[in-house]
Amino acid sequence: MFRFLVRRILGAAVILLIISAITFLLFYVAPRDPARVACGKVCTPQTLALVKHNLGIDDPLPVQYWHWLEGVFVGRDYASFGHCNAPCLGYSFQNRVPVLSLIEDRFPTTISLALGSAVVFVIFGVGTGMIAAVKQGKALDKIASSASLIGSSLQIYIVGIVAMYYLSDEWGILDRPNDSSGFTDDPGAWFSGLLLPWFVLAIIFTANYTRMTRSQLVETLSEDYVRTARAKGLSARTVFFRFAWRGAMGPIVTILGLDLGSLLGGAVITEQTFGLHGIGALSVKAVRDNDLPMLLGVVLVAAGAIVLFNIVVDAVYALIDPRVRLA
Amino acid sequence: MSLSRRNFVIATSVAAGGSMVLSACSSGGGGGNSGKHAGTDKYTGSVTVGTKEDSTGPAPEIEGAKKGGNIIGIGPSDFSHLDPQRIYYAWNSTVANLYIRALTGYKIASDGSMKLVGDLATDTGTMADEGKTWTFTLKDGLKWDDGSELTVEDVRHGIERAFATFTTEGAMYVQSALVGSSDFRSKYKGPFSNKHLDSIVTDKAKKTITLKLKVARPDLNFTLAMHSYGAVPVGHDTKEKYDKDPVSAGPYKIAQHAIDKSMKLVRNPHWDPKTDAIRNAYPDSFTFQFGTEGLAAADRLIAQSGDDQYAVMAYSGVPAERLQKVLTDPELKKRTINGLLSGLYYYAINCKRITDPKVRQALNYAWPLEQIRRIYGGQSAGDYATSIISPDILGYDHQDVYGKAKKPQGDPEKAKALLKEAGKVGQKIVYTYPKGGNDAYEKTKVVIVNALKAAGFDPVVKAVDQGSYYDQVQQIDNNFDVMWFGWSPDWPTGYTVMQPLFDGATIANGSNNVSQLNVSWVNDAIKKNAVITDPKAAGAAWEELDKKIMTELAPIIPETFQRRFYLYGSKVGGALFDPLFSGFIMYKLHVKA
Repeated sequence: MFRFLVRRILGAAVILLIISAITFLLFYVAPRDPARVACGKVCTPQTLALVKHNLGIDDPLPVQYWHWLEGVFVGRDYASFGHCNAPCLGYSFQNRVPVLSLIEDRFPTTISLALGSAVVFVIFGVGTGMIAAVKQGKALDKIASSASLIGSSLQIYIVGIVAMYYLSDEWGILDRPNDSSGFTDDPGAWFSGLLLPWFVLAIIFTANYTRMTRSQLVETLSEDYVRTARAKGLSARTVFFRFAWRGAMGPIVTILGLDLGSLLGGAVITEQTFGLHGIGALSVKAVRDNDLPMLLGVVLVAAGAIVLFNIVVDAVYALIDPRVRLA
Repeated sequence: MSLSRRNFVIATSVAAGGSMVLSACSSGGGGGNSGKHAGTDKYTGSVTVGTKEDSTGPAPEIEGAKKGGNIIGIGPSDFSHLDPQRIYYAWNSTVANLYIRALTGYKIASDGSMKLVGDLATDTGTMADEGKTWTFTLKDGLKWDDGSELTVEDVRHGIERAFATFTTEGAMYVQSALVGSSDFRSKYKGPFSNKHLDSIVTDKAKKTITLKLKVARPDLNFTLAMHSYGAVPVGHDTKEKYDKDPVSAGPYKIAQHAIDKSMKLVRNPHWDPKTDAIRNAYPDSFTFQFGTEGLAAADRLIAQSGDDQYAVMAYSGVPAERLQKVLTDPELKKRTINGLLSGLYYYAINCKRITDPKVRQALNYAWPLEQIRRIYGGQSAGDYATSIISPDILGYDHQDVYGKAKKPQGDPEKAKALLKEAGKVGQKIVYTYPKGGNDAYEKTKVVIVNALKAAGFDPVVKAVDQGSYYDQVQQIDNNFDVMWFGWSPDWPTGYTVMQPLFDGATIANGSNNVSQLNVSWVNDAIKKNAVITDPKAAGAAWEELDKKIMTELAPIIPETFQRRFYLYGSKVGGALFDPLFSGFIMYKLHVKA
């Protein structure tokens, strides 16, 4: 297990390095000049050159990338801002603050959004999936299956706006989404501010889990070992939870890990729809502002989350299913 | 929903055009509600120069307004800069008004008319040497938010630090005039090496500051009202870091700021209303919330649940999708303000490629303003622009060389006749616009192509990605004939429109003379008008030049002066449209009991 983890983490580092290099290159392929951000309304060639120098983008591309890498591993000195400690992802072109400080500021919202909605969609998704599997072919199964089909075909930017309009503006049942209070400042405000996004996000995700759980359970319930367990006279409950359920959970854990990974990289549309300030909103802004250091920062966070959760999924899978051996 | 946001991005991030100051455009996209519910047709602007008495505080009280409470501003994006010398855009200026003060400023009456008055200075300055020398005297009792005195040295510091290497975002007019070169940083490096400009003389005892310019600038007192020339305390200048934590000279100071999330301003106890003829200060605090798009903000204000009764839509206006609903519901309509943006939307004709003025005139006749405005949302989206100079400019006089008010749908017959005369029937016209920013331009493209075909042109459309749009159209050697563009003047005199847009000397990559017009009589007239010392005479001269340029040279096709609507909560009083910065005048708002 230890060797597996070390190998996977080293591999992840290489992947992130490659992703950063590709992002760097792609950024300069687009015919956009980030210096324009800080060059006034009458942008003279002299001012433009000065801005490029200030932003450190007057060096050749490989040199710029080298400086960036240097910042990540050993820190970096800026003429105007002083030393930036490693790991230094650079200063945002637009906001002139360290990229890492903005990411640290936004990450709590993203984590809250991802984990909170995961709790909701796992409970509802797996729950309805189980009911549907047990009541296979009956009315309840049909309702659950069609509801999940409808749920999965909905889009956040529609459900979100409709939900906000009715649930908070018209009927006043839930608060308008708001991420101004962190979990540690005011748990109550944190909870009520995120409740609506959790549920809306969960509506979309629940469906997958319902369908997945149902099909997995239906399959395992008909497996030989489950039939054997039944034949041995074990109670229905024991057979279901100890035998069938555990066997069916493997693939669910896999998609949950991948979903969490991508949610932690920033739920772009969700954050835009609800006006939340997480990693997703940060990345949209970075693209719009031609803010390369910020863009590299959020791309690495997103990639890092996915890579990390892939490792976690593999490790957890081994724990759940002893048949899987980590070579 | 992101329509207005995307538009806003054109406004701020592609700073180049600058033009786009004006475009957190609430219009566009929706279409279809032509001819209904115009807000008002009266122009709000009309600026005059005020007297010493006008410049003396306090500002006139607003009837029924009481102190206290918190006003909430809901906006799509954070303020890009707080350091005065790095502020250029309208959105930043709406909040800058609360904590930055410059030598002069605009006193805005309840009918929207503006007066240039002394803000830090006792009056609008004394001009000598035909506009080459300007002297201002500071008012008594001016203080920074730490209680220290605001001196002439702080005012000079604000101007001198505009030369520094890190203040690249701000305006450049005064720097260029002080050293006589647009490459002003090569002549003076800023005040941080303890070197001062010879051309600024201060007298601490008499509280006077004198600017000795290399070129005559009879409207320098307007230029100095820009926040780019706001005062900064010598003793508390943290250079680059000042952008995050500026010191206040106005009625409010920044108490908290979470980048891209929120900002809170509270009272500055050291601001003395007797020194300020411009600002009221009724609310105890302002809270800005960032990250809410125009549509979501409009919905919040329509519902106005809880604290949103105390909120205003900051910067991003009511989007086309909600305009109809807002204007037809009396309760909602009552809670709106509206006004024209200070800038002009137009199409620049590349005079290097379309060399025959007759062809350019034909384009003006052919252009389908009515169809274009219908796409923007009809009459409520704005007024037809029939001239270069906009209604808010000093001396504005309605002109209409191409009869667009009467035939806004275009006059293909006249256009065809002109083309025939020029021997250019079937002339190819390469039209470009920013793609990906505003869906409206995808639709206007179609009506433009149809109108050009009907007038005997051969139109070709080449859209450019919005992220590099300005880079491309502001290249001298580009392959476009007609380019979508916009320009917002930096202060309301004709100079700020005509000089940047039509002075041949400015032509360079990145220049705003996108038409690349370089005609000696125009260049001479701009030079001549720029030094007319009487504001009224100057206003008339600019108007005359406007008419002459449009008649003889037709380097642009004026399109619209766009109108924007904003909603505010029912507990907000004193709501007034700012003719300069096209949003709420924050310092006039108050909380209703």
